[in-house]
Amino acid sequence: MLRSREDAVDVVHALFADLIPTWTPDVDLPYLYRAVTHRCLNLMRDRGTRARLLEREQTAAAPVGRVRLDDEVVGVGLVAALTERLDDGHLQVLVCRFVDDMTQDEIAAHLGVSRRTVGKRLDRIREAVTLLRREEAS
Amino acid sequence: MTACVGEPISWLRLEGFALGAPDPGIASHIAACATCRGCLDHIRADVVALPALEPAVRPVRRRRWMTPAFAAVGAAVLAAIAVIIVRDPAAGGPEALDAKLGAVAVKGVGEVTLELVRDRAGEIRHDASRYARGDRWKVVVTCPPAGAAWVEVSVSDGATTDHPLAPAQLVCGNRVVVPGAFSITGLGTNRVCASVAAAAGAPAATVCTSLRPE
Repeated sequence: MLRSREDAVDVVHALFADLIPTWTPDVDLPYLYRAVTHRCLNLMRDRGTRARLLEREQTAAAPVGRVRLDDEVVGVGLVAALTERLDDGHLQVLVCRFVDDMTQDEIAAHLGVSRRTVGKRLDRIREAVTLLRREEAS
Repeated sequence: MTACVGEPISWLRLEGFALGAPDPGIASHIAACATCRGCLDHIRADVVALPALEPAVRPVRRRRWMTPAFAAVGAAVLAAIAVIIVRDPAAGGPEALDAKLGAVAVKGVGEVTLELVRDRAGEIRHDASRYARGDRWKVVVTCPPAGAAWVEVSVSDGATTDHPLAPAQLVCGNRVVVPGAFSITGLGTNRVCASVAAAAGAPAATVCTSLRPE
């Protein structure tokens, strides 16, 4: 999501450095996924980092977009733009659906919310993207 | 060829499968879908060898005879011994006990604590004051939540001053890591400073610490 191996290593390093003092067997892959996604989104909220990521984003290196939001693949630029318009819950759903290619049922189980909540958040995400594109066009 | 032939398998499921988790549904889909098979190949090929982690420390069991009064007396005795035998940090002896950058009050942010964290081949230390080739250093910030802090880091060896990390606007919280890491090269003492402000261009407070070579 960060399009930078060094930033990704730093995020994982920081996560494990924080986890080690309180290590429990409850730390599994889904937990690590949620924690890393949260930290990546925090990084992208930071304007300075966001500008740096966008400047060096390499679309050629991006994984194939298997799930699309209407006609577009959700890239770093769009996620970065939406960090200022959506809260944590919506951003997590955005990443899970359009970056990690999860189904709505998987997202509901992963985030511990109902499928209906996931659907509502996806609708809100689409509205935010439509509004963003409209503002860009004008 | 970018589309999946059916419902894409999520990256979480693919990564679990790549780690050996049994998942019958994936094998048949992967056989039929070149796109998802490519994603699995990408996961398997994308291996970053992270340094080994420090082993977790088990909490010490308290004995029944350890009363609060006994603990206080014992701590006072140990502190007295530590004062007697502590060495001059300028000498080539053990590392100083406290090499934190420090705490400052920043207008518009509040009380901000900055800390240097050293990663030496996977061993993480929060009180390191000596550097060696290959060490990675990170700056960690703690400031009141719901706030934001602008952090700039500089490293000076007395002759030149570098800014190894891009200035960062951070969302405040407990031990927020300034993005990026840096290494120190050379043979002399380096002074690492962190300036904190509410925003870029706002009045900043600066704290510094010195790192000596091993």
